[in-house]
Amino acid sequence: MSLDAAGTSHPRPAAASAPALTLDGVGKSFGQVRALAHVDFAAYPGEIHCIVGDNGAGKSTTLKILSGIYQADAGEMAIAGGRVVLKDAAEAHKRGIAVVHQDLALVECLDVATNMALGAIPRRGRFLLDRPRMEAEAAEVLADLKIRVGSVRTQIGLLSGGERQIVAIARAVRMDLPIILLDEPTAALGVRETAHVGEILDHLRERGKTIICISHDLEFVFAHADRITVMRLGNSVATRLRDETSRDEIVGMITGTIAGEAAGR
Amino acid sequence: MTAMSGDKTALPRRPRFSVEQLLRPETTLIVVILLIAIGTTLRNPNFLNVGNLTDIARAAVIYFVMACGASLLMIGGGLDFSVGSVFTLGGISAGWLMQAGLPWPLAVVAGIVVGIIAGWLNSQVIARLHVPPIIATLGTFFIFTGLCVQVTGGEDIVPLPDGFQYIGQGALFGVPFVVIYAVIIGVVSWFLLEHTPFGVEVRAIGGNRKAALANGIKVARLDTVLYVLAGGTGALAGIIYAARVGSAQVSAGGSGTTLSVVTAVLIGGVSLLGGLGSITGIAVGAILLSEIDNALIVAAVPPQYNTIVVGLILIAAVAIDHIRRERLYRVRR
Repeated sequence: MSLDAAGTSHPRPAAASAPALTLDGVGKSFGQVRALAHVDFAAYPGEIHCIVGDNGAGKSTTLKILSGIYQADAGEMAIAGGRVVLKDAAEAHKRGIAVVHQDLALVECLDVATNMALGAIPRRGRFLLDRPRMEAEAAEVLADLKIRVGSVRTQIGLLSGGERQIVAIARAVRMDLPIILLDEPTAALGVRETAHVGEILDHLRERGKTIICISHDLEFVFAHADRITVMRLGNSVATRLRDETSRDEIVGMITGTIAGEAAGR
Repeated sequence: MTAMSGDKTALPRRPRFSVEQLLRPETTLIVVILLIAIGTTLRNPNFLNVGNLTDIARAAVIYFVMACGASLLMIGGGLDFSVGSVFTLGGISAGWLMQAGLPWPLAVVAGIVVGIIAGWLNSQVIARLHVPPIIATLGTFFIFTGLCVQVTGGEDIVPLPDGFQYIGQGALFGVPFVVIYAVIIGVVSWFLLEHTPFGVEVRAIGGNRKAALANGIKVARLDTVLYVLAGGTGALAGIIYAARVGSAQVSAGGSGTTLSVVTAVLIGGVSLLGGLGSITGIAVGAILLSEIDNALIVAAVPPQYNTIVVGLILIAAVAIDHIRRERLYRVRR
């Protein structure tokens, strides 16, 4: 384990090198409401790092800062060691971050292939849409991930909630960016679909991706996470290696019955 | 979710003909156009004269050129109620500059630029002042209309140079120039919408603005481009109209023109909720509107029936759009 300047523990997997993404003392307020007080966080290549916490703990605000939708009022964010200020989602994408939002951010009137290409549409030359390539790439990614959603020409509006979730994850995979953020990826899924999402995340970890996943589903978290950061009342209270913690400890830190290293901040 | 079987990337060719195509809005409209043509011809065979059909095409062109920009905007989730006044503004600006001594080709370009500026102003009022599009463009409709009256003192601008009038009144092998302009603008708009990343992004911001933003699409920039295109095509239509009638008229556009364009776009299958619609659909919608105008005159039907028929078709078009969305989405909306 190593301690950062703020005193929060950041256990690193043995194989990890420099962090792919860090937050250092990040804060965010909306008018009088303080959504984030002090968040420290570090995610490494080749790991699944889950962020857990109760409703209102600041998980989604943290993810929106990481994905460029919100800008932090205080603190710093760094990608691959370099300080960055993400002014919008496009810049996050440019810096190597793919995001699967809780509301999935899919366009119902467009088909699967087009949705998977949004933000990085294949072109012929500078101005032409390369639809055959777009469809072939989408079909290839879906096949690689063993996802079946009918045709890539199926409109998203015709898919079930679970199928949409999987397409949203497949879109992030298609971007082939080093960092993938997921906000409650299993919230709308059944048991089999949840297991499938877990398999996809394990596969991405093996490919060296940095996976940051917000989840309420502790069973999923303990099945797939390498590290777990607990958030409470806008603070990151502790980070634990999954193998060195227990559900009871994590639940205790979520509810506040067990104090994390940064709980007194 | 289960394992995908078979060839993972091979996709079937898109069918050239399918039942779905028969159910497309433009197919329904073509049937309506043919029914009106048959009914009107039975009352007055002159309806099918080449001269009369050319008149329908000339009138449809004006709706269509404006509707090209307006439909892209509406597919992108925007709305422009100022288009009728931008139509007048384009004609008046070009006419006024011609009378001031500017060569007519430059005056035409300047008139289009005025429309582009009007569109840009619309986008800025919406984006920076956070005024909803329907209110913002209604406000600018009155402002632009007032400006036209102020500049002209309420008088039409005549005469206009012969060269300028020729671009609105001439023909190539019997095909009016104005129809040729409309075809060019239609093809460019169709190409933009269906074959460029720009078109995909327009549908994305119209279909789900938040999703488009989250996916890194520059929504604000795209909005500006769409309002500029709507302004540019609105002014261009006004200039074509001025050339066709030989004068820049203060009363050329107005609220009636705005409503006709919005109606043509909606009848053509563009969804008021954004995302859905096609240029071929609005081409057929513009022809239908123009045909109704003409058919009721040719068939000697009292003019009040024109608005009644257009109103009924508009309501039917929006109701059909609702059914279409229900077929398209699992969730009722």
